[in-house]
Amino acid sequence: MTGALETHGLGKRYGSQWALRDCTLEIPRGSVTALVGPNGAGKTTLLRLAVGLTRPSEGSVHMLGLDPHDDAAQALPRVGFLAQEHPLFGGFTVAEMLRVGRELNPSWDEEAARARIAELELPLKKKVRSLSGGQRAQVALTLALAKRPELLLLDEPVASLDPLARREFLQSVLEAVAERGLTVVLSSHILAELERVCDHLVILAVGRTQLAGSIDEIVSSHRLLTGPRDAAEDVARLHEVVRESHADRQTTLVVRADGHVYDSRWTVHELDLEEIVLAYLGQDAARRREEAVA
Amino acid sequence: MIWLSLRQQRAETLLTAVMLLLLAALFVPAGLHLASFYTQDNVAHCLHDARLGKSLACAQTLSDFGGRAGVLRSVMPWLTLLPGMIGVALAAPLVLDLESGTYRLGWTQSVTRARWLGARFGTAIVAALAAGGLLALLFTWYREPLDKVFGRFDGSSGFDLEGIVPVSYVLFALGLALAIGVTWRRTAPAVITSFLAYIGTRVFVDTWLRQRYVSPLSVTWSVNATAPAPRSLNYAWTLYSGLSDRAGHPFSGGYAALQACGRVAYNGSKVLNAHCLARHGAGFNTAVYQPVSRYWEFQGIEFALFGGLAALLIAFAAWQVLRAD
Repeated sequence: MTGALETHGLGKRYGSQWALRDCTLEIPRGSVTALVGPNGAGKTTLLRLAVGLTRPSEGSVHMLGLDPHDDAAQALPRVGFLAQEHPLFGGFTVAEMLRVGRELNPSWDEEAARARIAELELPLKKKVRSLSGGQRAQVALTLALAKRPELLLLDEPVASLDPLARREFLQSVLEAVAERGLTVVLSSHILAELERVCDHLVILAVGRTQLAGSIDEIVSSHRLLTGPRDAAEDVARLHEVVRESHADRQTTLVVRADGHVYDSRWTVHELDLEEIVLAYLGQDAARRREEAVA
Repeated sequence: MIWLSLRQQRAETLLTAVMLLLLAALFVPAGLHLASFYTQDNVAHCLHDARLGKSLACAQTLSDFGGRAGVLRSVMPWLTLLPGMIGVALAAPLVLDLESGTYRLGWTQSVTRARWLGARFGTAIVAALAAGGLLALLFTWYREPLDKVFGRFDGSSGFDLEGIVPVSYVLFALGLALAIGVTWRRTAPAVITSFLAYIGTRVFVDTWLRQRYVSPLSVTWSVNATAPAPRSLNYAWTLYSGLSDRAGHPFSGGYAALQACGRVAYNGSKVLNAHCLARHGAGFNTAVYQPVSRYWEFQGIEFALFGGLAALLIAFAAWQVLRAD
């Protein structure tokens, strides 16, 4: 069985600018994957390539084993996609939006869609443009879910929402996962909320895959080492150094450890997921975070 | 998908329908009036009876009849902008879809992009055909009495608003707005630009190209007052008319030569002496014209021209949508 989403050397160029380059990854079926990276890292491009909105400049992308462009007729009914900003037709009522879903999707589950809208207490007769951001996101998610997809792609689904709406939205996604066991890929530049929801992680930065794997494996393999500066090279020979910073005599390393670190010269600390992600996203992101805290 | 296409195009379709209704409210009563004057004033008699037609009373009747159409006849040339407005308006929702990003919603449902394209373009084209057809029908009906008196080549509105060409104008404007809009993806500037391009193309065709569809005929006749203008000029589209010699070479002498041939008639008006004019190489009138018998040929050529351009533009827009990233 092929993965839910597979890419090989995938790249997309707009003019002379590469939005995504040399991206190879496999997202297993049934996983909930966070696609993390700073703005402009190529997250949106990757998701658009996956759903066939965009064609690759190089490499290949397969979604549920299908080419999203050439096999669009088979692939489209099996994928739900939520673009950034949750585009909906502003002049349509909620009921009309549901009709859009019904008319355009043979696998449409009208009952489930109605039930969801009722449960969220969304007014059917209200125009979409007069809804709040959180309500609009829920309508868009309802549309994507009632299509009964096997794979759900969400591009920055919570970026524009307030904290409460974020929580509710992610809760809805989680419920759908629990009910139907669908595969979800959601992109974000904020990790905090996603940690609770996701079991897999893909880090994209400067248009390339930096890290991909299950969150458990990622957390258990990364370590923070503090030790003498002259010992850094020995560590690099055995383990993959993600980031290093040097003080006068002391060096701090974030490593992806291949087994245990036995060198007694180093003090070993555990890292949480956010720290690991920040190490990958580099100095830049770390500074931004400090500024945000201050 | 058809339902969605119609729903997204609802406002523009309604706008077009209201515009057509307003026009009908204006032109149907006016057209009924005009038709009743046509019978009341015995206009047909003056037109068909050659002897009667020359009488002073008939000349008065015919000139009065032009006045009956009144202000509507003089605003009609402006109405040739309508097909452009309708075509451009019908393209707007699709461009707006691309500009606002909502096309991503349509393209990620279960229908392929080609089907989405077929439905969206299809409904716009059908609406354009219907609007153009109704427009042409209304004006062809309204102008019928006018056509009998002034001919179908009358000014520009006789040709531009009648027959089959209005349909091709609407399609052309739609194609322009789709092609520009799909490429530019900004609704307001694309709509304005394509409307201006529509006007530009129409003006070029109206004033320069149309008269060259088929090489015009020319006829020469004596300026002698007793010889009437040839019948072939009846209802014809006269491109040029002026003094010439017997062979039809246009008179090139100056005003002074004409002055020499003039004499003051008993009622004080100036009359030109035919023999004198002939000596100066100006004894004849020559007209270059397109005969009225070519009306439908010209309609066909112009329909093919704008229809063909529309097809190219729409095909270009469709190709742009299919390859869009």
